[in-house]
Amino acid sequence: MTMNPCDQSAVELSKLLRRKEISAVEILESALERIDQVDGRPGTLNPGAITDADKQKVHSFITLTAERARAQAKEVDRKLKAGEDPGALAGIPLTVKDIFVLKGTPSTAASKILANFISPYTATPVSRLEAAGAVTLGKVNLDEFTYGSSNESSAFQPSPRNPWDTHTVPGGSSGGSAASVAAGEAVLSLGTDTAGSIRQPAAFCGVVGVKPTYGRVSRYGLIAFASSLDCPGPVARSVEDAALMLKVMAGADPSDDTAANIPVPDYLAELEKGVKGLRIGLSPDYFRITYPDPTSGELLMQAISPEIEASVRRAASLLKEMGAEIIEDVPMPNTRYGIPAYFVISRVEAASNLHRYDGVKYGFRTPEPTHELRDLYKKTRAQGFGPQPKLRILMGMYVSAAQYSEQYYNRALKVRTLIRRDFDTVFDKNGAYRLDALLTPTTPTTAFEMGAVYGDSVLMQYADQLTVPANHAGIPGLSLPAGLDSKRLPIGIQLLGADFSESVLFRIGRAFEQATETDAWRKEKPGVLAS
Amino acid sequence: MTEYEAIIGLETHIQLNTTTKIFCSCKADSWFDPPNTNICPVCTGLPGALPTLNKAVVEKAVLLAKAMHANLLPLSYFARKNYFYPDLPKGYQISQYDKPIAVGGFLDMPMNPANGQSYIRHITIDNMHLEEDAGKTRNEPGRRLIDFNRCGVPLIEMVTGPDLRSADEAAQYLIRLRQLLRWLGISEADMEKAHLRCDANVSIRPKGASHLNPKTEIKNVNSIDAVKEAIGKEIERQTNEMEAGHKIETWTLEWDEDAGVLRKMRSKETEADYRYFREPDLLAIRMTDEWRNAILEGFPELPLERRARFIEDYGLPEYDAEILTGERSLSDYFETTVKTYKGDPKRVSNWIMNDILRMVNEAGKPAYELKLTPAFLAEIIQLVDSGTINTSTGKNLLGKVETSGRAPSKIVEEEGLAKVSDDSAIREVCAKIMAASPNETASYKAGKVTLIGWFVGQVMKEMRGKADPQIARKIMEEMLSQ
Amino acid sequence: MKDPITPEVFAHLVDLAALELEPTQAEYLRLQLNHQLKAIQELESIPLESNVEISAHGVPYTAEISPAPREDIWKPYPEPADIIKQAPATDEGYIVVPEIPHITLK
Ligand SMILES: [Zn+2]
Repeated sequence: MTMNPCDQSAVELSKLLRRKEISAVEILESALERIDQVDGRPGTLNPGAITDADKQKVHSFITLTAERARAQAKEVDRKLKAGEDPGALAGIPLTVKDIFVLKGTPSTAASKILANFISPYTATPVSRLEAAGAVTLGKVNLDEFTYGSSNESSAFQPSPRNPWDTHTVPGGSSGGSAASVAAGEAVLSLGTDTAGSIRQPAAFCGVVGVKPTYGRVSRYGLIAFASSLDCPGPVARSVEDAALMLKVMAGADPSDDTAANIPVPDYLAELEKGVKGLRIGLSPDYFRITYPDPTSGELLMQAISPEIEASVRRAASLLKEMGAEIIEDVPMPNTRYGIPAYFVISRVEAASNLHRYDGVKYGFRTPEPTHELRDLYKKTRAQGFGPQPKLRILMGMYVSAAQYSEQYYNRALKVRTLIRRDFDTVFDKNGAYRLDALLTPTTPTTAFEMGAVYGDSVLMQYADQLTVPANHAGIPGLSLPAGLDSKRLPIGIQLLGADFSESVLFRIGRAFEQATETDAWRKEKPGVLAS
Repeated sequence: MTEYEAIIGLETHIQLNTTTKIFCSCKADSWFDPPNTNICPVCTGLPGALPTLNKAVVEKAVLLAKAMHANLLPLSYFARKNYFYPDLPKGYQISQYDKPIAVGGFLDMPMNPANGQSYIRHITIDNMHLEEDAGKTRNEPGRRLIDFNRCGVPLIEMVTGPDLRSADEAAQYLIRLRQLLRWLGISEADMEKAHLRCDANVSIRPKGASHLNPKTEIKNVNSIDAVKEAIGKEIERQTNEMEAGHKIETWTLEWDEDAGVLRKMRSKETEADYRYFREPDLLAIRMTDEWRNAILEGFPELPLERRARFIEDYGLPEYDAEILTGERSLSDYFETTVKTYKGDPKRVSNWIMNDILRMVNEAGKPAYELKLTPAFLAEIIQLVDSGTINTSTGKNLLGKVETSGRAPSKIVEEEGLAKVSDDSAIREVCAKIMAASPNETASYKAGKVTLIGWFVGQVMKEMRGKADPQIARKIMEEMLSQ
Repeated sequence: MKDPITPEVFAHLVDLAALELEPTQAEYLRLQLNHQLKAIQELESIPLESNVEISAHGVPYTAEISPAPREDIWKPYPEPADIIKQAPATDEGYIVVPEIPHITLK
């Protein structure tokens, strides 16, 4: 397969477009052609058997909105022709995780309970991207209500597969986002990150994923999972594209009281400033994971995959060569409590956020006769929700019940404070560490096989161990591709920074890209693209 | 038989009269709107929608907190109260829990029982919560209809301590609260439109005892009469139970206004665990000194304070003071009139209670909207006092000023309404009447002096009421005896 | 160790959650809940000094970065009918649900 417009970067496509060397419609058609080649059938509620042919495809999409996209692309071309400013993302093919509402299109959250919901309004990040000229190809798949790290829990099957090896998962929950960008079906994708849901699939699929600071991007129109943790963010193939996309999405929003009132810096202007003088930390607490033994529940401690650790250490030495100062042995002692605290906080908020799906106002209502309202609620929710939402609801009910909330919920919120203190200490400008960023692996392993973990809700959750602390603390995180492991699966490294320090993370990420520009793995293509 | 006293606490829900709802930009009042037309993604709980706090809700709550002597918390938070009900689109109500907008407070309520000593009841306030109202549901056979227009109307929940001692006191508290809310301009407080709603907690104990017995909660007592009646009945029921040696159980009761009976609610409906937790979609309300001071600038004198001052400063009877402070604009009207008039305040009170109140009621607008301004009323009373016009002319002038908006003195001058005290004009008319009535003149002269009233009447009639009747009588007597 | 979430506790949670479950799914979910609870129990071993406050959000919302509250200005939503159109059952503008059984006794 040759280099198509859909494989180019957003920045490059913008230049070509403005030089009139390509039209938005041409870019779009190239993306649609790619989708046609690699995506296979979209996820549906009644997929029948998953065939061997299905297993070779990516299945990013739930809803493809090709006609809507054509109208958008034509409008961009019209503006260009008329000499009007078509916007910073004009003509760039975008996919949107189907957890964001988009007016007039199905907005499903990959759940049967919202399968027939046509949103009457559009989410703020989506409307900002479209206002900047981005061309929305459609809504991509995810774990049901984002509850998972593999996309296998989607009610819309076949679920997305990793474009590097379709027998492995793309990660999750923004699996459709990462897969679509990795496979060149889209140039950019809008995802969400609650415990690592952008960074983990970005790492698994070999793309760039950004979890911005909580409050940096409006959540209006993001179908909520854990409202105090959810962050919309970009998925892209380069740091520069991610920075460009975040610049467009970020900023205060009169529809979201938690969207922080802080001006958005010009990330691109800062991008090439290099890493000279920046202090970058490495923490032993991010090179090991704790996880409970599936049978005994006993906590086991284990080093992360050596290949991944080696990638992180190599990145550190490359950054050092470029002038950064590397600080070793930074203690982050509360990292290991991220998952237990997350189990509590996210379940309490999720159970409450899922209360509204009751068959009364929108979405699925049980077709069975019901003699009273409570019966309607129970049947609707029993039939509309898959096992993952049910698990979260039930756990949320348990840990937030009056007699347990002090023991669990308030304790978890205090543990969140401890996790936050770890970061405050190392980023403190007057402290012992004075870090500009922490460099860590994104995930303990590379992409796992389909079906390998699914079903064990505890193990699945522990896949987020290295990403979830940033969600607790609210700080920004950036995952970057850093190579391929021996199975030819992408390795992701993560940069974590202080509140609203995205531009610093972008600078470091950009420097790393430059340092590895000529690496052999950069020329490798995902399996689905190898002809 | 033991004598019992009632221990009553009231939980009130007050709809604030803001322009928009508490968490979205739909208008707050949809009284005249068809079902589900005053709604948006936020107040119908669409997936992804988020609340944004209305500033005016906080401002109105600050006014009420000040009036109730409650303490504003520098940081207060919203919390989710989770439960399933079809009028609650999100499946949780955004309310407050551990850190409400204000805590503490009290109201010293004067009680004037018809037969008995006046006294003050000190009523404490536990706290004030900001929250959103639910929608409305309507029962039809076999189904229920839901209207979300009311979802998100701002409410303040205000709970009293167990400080009220009778159904009358409970009713009086609601009357005082309603007066206060209107006075502050923060709620229409119309109980019939459910702007002000009330649940009552009732228990009894032997008079003089200090312990608290199990209480019952009466839901849905939504008029002053209902409060009086429902609480009265519940006190009676509990007394009978206790006399019979039964224990009072902590039931939840519902007042059926039409049937006039209390019904017990099914226990399952009331044993809720709302699983409160802090609302992650909203930030803390930061009540800075600066903001609070700006809100409280021009904070009014309160009705009970003003009532006491009217009695003290103006020597008004309690009855007058109560009526004149029933409503803020009326009391302002009274006081402005007194200040311009400079005479006996009781005289102003009489004019207002006899005439202005009726005009206000007939016009259906507050006193300050009358074209008959306090300055004009003062002028009219002064015209009467100085003898320029007589009382009945003065009363007629009220309507004329109200219709025209013109100054009373101008109208008196233009329409020649001033009393005629000029002797020569009256003498002329008297002579004319004597000439036209020879029989009556003869009778008078023959000794029938009672005819003087008839003669004065003729003069007044001829002069269309403008003559001073006293002067007319004096001149007529003098001429008839010549 | 006995599972804290017994079938009885589980049944109560299912009821609170307005769900109803097939026996096999119920057993799977109960097992998973008890596994998760084991992981959660690690929280109990964390030493927490008394000065540890709860964090409702990780990012501290200072006065400077907190948006000002919304002004009280009416902005009518243009298409309320599009919202109601999503409801599974409506009648003359109302959303329709089955009866709620009478809540009064006697
Ligand atoms: Zn609304």
